Amino acid sequence: MKEQLRAISELDRVIHEPGRLMIVALLAAVKECDFLFLQHETEMNKGNLSSHLARLEEAGYVEIEKTYRGKVPQTLLRLTRAGRTAFDQYRKGLKAAF
Amino acid sequence: MTDTLQNYARRTRRYDNIDGTGEMYMGIMVLAFVLLGYLQAILPENSMWRYRFASLVFAYAVLLPVLAFGYWGVRRTIKKYITWPRTGYVAYGHCGKSWWSNIAALVIALVVVVVCANVERLARHFHAMSLGRAVWMAFNVAAYAFWILFKSKEHPWKRLIVVLMALGLFAIAFIVPRGDFDSRRPEMLFIALTWLASGVATLYSYIRHTQPPAPESE
Repeated sequence: MKEQLRAISELDRVIHEPGRLMIVALLAAVKECDFLFLQHETEMNKGNLSSHLARLEEAGYVEIEKTYRGKVPQTLLRLTRAGRTAFDQYRKGLKAAF
Repeated sequence: MTDTLQNYARRTRRYDNIDGTGEMYMGIMVLAFVLLGYLQAILPENSMWRYRFASLVFAYAVLLPVLAFGYWGVRRTIKKYITWPRTGYVAYGHCGKSWWSNIAALVIALVVVVVCANVERLARHFHAMSLGRAVWMAFNVAAYAFWILFKSKEHPWKRLIVVLMALGLFAIAFIVPRGDFDSRRPEMLFIALTWLASGVATLYSYIRHTQPPAPESE
């Protein structure tokens, strides 16, 4: 029981927030994607998604690249190595907790 | 909880076929081989293209690469001008997949190919062509059913296509009662057209239900 409690308390709070968890779970399954894809898949509005991405970038979990597709601006997103490691640990921690 | 996370992450894999391009690809591949078979059937008896070796070389060294590269271009064009501007761009890598899962998939695919290739021979050996044909038809329906289960869960109407495919193959078996390899062409043509129709319907449905966002949105 104590170990389970410790596993819960040790869960990464940056990833644990539901919105960010959705983003990280999606990014973990791909090499890279754009903002529009994340918006479509998470059904979040632009403001929410941007603030979650900014938080993940600040933690060093997500890399954001501003580029162009033709003449249209495109925001490319990918999980960093630290982000992948953190997500793997989060999943293991969650398994241990429940 | 982690299973839910995994299921959620699998949505990205299904996204690859959100526009039906995967099904169209399968349909076009099967259709090309069926048309090759029909072409061989109308060639003169002494034509070199009727011999097994020449036809195999043509099919695998010319037709298959042409189809693969040709469709790669078409698929990319559909993605670039229809899918990515509407619901976003995704690039897939080896993320989340270990090397042994790729090897396991390859081994399973090889086993299935070897079993399928030998069903015909076994059926002939045991004078049970109708059994061989039934296994062949069941395999094709199962392949489509597995495809929609793993790649197209979001389209429940495709379950109806599984039923239609099974009924169609059953009907063809009654209309063309012979069970040898040459009489399989109508079945394969039907299978190719079913895959193709399923892909085109998915693309049509995708275009109808999605709109590109306004240019200033990002």
